[in-house]
Amino acid sequence: MTLADPVVHWQALVRDPDRAARFYAACFGWTADDANALGYRAIPAAGRGIGGGIWPLPDGTPMVQLFVEVPSVDDALAGAQANGANVVIPKQVLPDGDEMAVIVDPEGIAWGLMRARG
Amino acid sequence: MLHAEFERRRLRNRRFSLRAFAALLGMDSSTLSQILRGRRRMSARMTAAVCARLGVPARERDALVGEARTRAHERRILRQVARAGFVARSRPLARRLRLRIDDVNAALARLLRDGRVQMLSTSCWAVTGSTKER
Repeated sequence: MTLADPVVHWQALVRDPDRAARFYAACFGWTADDANALGYRAIPAAGRGIGGGIWPLPDGTPMVQLFVEVPSVDDALAGAQANGANVVIPKQVLPDGDEMAVIVDPEGIAWGLMRARG
Repeated sequence: MLHAEFERRRLRNRRFSLRAFAALLGMDSSTLSQILRGRRRMSARMTAAVCARLGVPARERDALVGEARTRAHERRILRQVARAGFVARSRPLARRLRLRIDDVNAALARLLRDGRVQMLSTSCWAVTGSTKER
């Protein structure tokens, strides 16, 4: 089995993004950059590994969510639903042009889907 | 929360009145009546005061107050998104509402999840559900 659609991003959903950013900086040397339209604390990969980001969690349990890059978010959502997933966040077009959505697979795991701006 | 507490107290004492409950909570009975009938929302400050009166444990109190605060932020964001000329960016939204950007984004995350706002394009967000609280 191979990874046709790659995991390209991780996202820490946390109660206190400032505290999380300080922790990751102190422990892993990760540098967050929030100079973007959403104030998203992006943590780009430096060489090896995949980049991610920190986003505030309105409720529920803090978690890390992985994002799979797909050729079409619409098609991926349709395919996921046809195979038993639930759509948690329908397709959104982010201010930078990336498209994203979130599903919960039949095992109960939340996955982000994304397509980078063309 | 207030419904359950009122019913619990009425079960213990059938003569426990709305007026007595209002006095216990430190609010007038018409306000309490509106809240219990869903005609009025409790602000975060009001929620904190009620929790203090009822001796709600700190963890539960913080969750209830946080929920009330996020709900208030959601309502304010929805009003802004529905306005003509709305700029589809979190930063100007936070500045306009005088909120921390994390508070805006937490409320925005829930509005997206609940299908009440959709990011239609790089520059356009839309209110997609009812602007009334769910």
